[in-house]
Amino acid sequence: MIARALRQAALLVVLAFVPAIGEAIYFRDKVPWQTRLTSDETVDVDLARSWGEGALWVDARPDHEFEANHIPGAVPLNEDRWNELLPQFLAQWSPEKKIVVYCSAASCNLAEDVARRLRNEAKLPNDIRVLQGGWEEWQKKSR
Amino acid sequence: MAEKKQMKIAWRILDLIVGGLFIYAGILKIIDPIQFARDIDNYKIVPWSLGVRFAFYLPWLEIFCGLALVFRRLYQGGLSILAALTAIFITASLIAKTRGIDISCGCFGHVSKNFSFSWHIALDFAIFAALIALWFGVKYEPGAGHQS
Repeated sequence: MIARALRQAALLVVLAFVPAIGEAIYFRDKVPWQTRLTSDETVDVDLARSWGEGALWVDARPDHEFEANHIPGAVPLNEDRWNELLPQFLAQWSPEKKIVVYCSAASCNLAEDVARRLRNEAKLPNDIRVLQGGWEEWQKKSR
Repeated sequence: MAEKKQMKIAWRILDLIVGGLFIYAGILKIIDPIQFARDIDNYKIVPWSLGVRFAFYLPWLEIFCGLALVFRRLYQGGLSILAALTAIFITASLIAKTRGIDISCGCFGHVSKNFSFSWHIALDFAIFAALIALWFGVKYEPGAGHQS
């Protein structure tokens, strides 16, 4: 019975690949394959820099990392001290500015979490983006 | 004899309920694969690039296995896979909970978004128990579940 179950399971596993591949091909241009954010939720360093004064930079990293160094003009806003830091952030906020949130590197999720909270909890109407590659990428481009 | 027939009908109804549940859950995920990829990513167990591939594959596997239960073709294979998937999901949910991750599985679309963690786990254990019952139900029912 177990051998038969395994044979049948193997067949089902293989069969499911067929429509899955078809669906993946259909969605290939709509899916962010490497990061969980879509292209209109992120911004690269060059474009974000070109916004100049029109952008408000938000540092989502822990306090000690922000204190060690950060993007000039960036405002700290991390989830550990969200309630304390939000009023400071709002003091510098204006509705027409684009908000660029960053964390340490491409692999961190802190910026995405902060960006989502700004959209969903703070209900900010701004264009809120996550910086691709985060602080690491900023430093590379600043050398 | 009549009792045997009633038991057969009861197992068949359970087949249809469990199979139908997985078909329904699979269709919901196929409609919005990116949302399902985000749900997988929320568990912080696999990297996004792998999770998004699972998001395209797993719903179809659920549907095929659900159909196996409904039509009693490749039946034991379908049961085995669904039991394994449910066990993996229960384990992943418990691990996420112990790590303090607030997860929403989204297994049944927007309806399940409002379920508490306890409800999710209770539902998953109920499904797992039904799958195990079906496995043994078929095992001890002469001639049943032998189709392939």
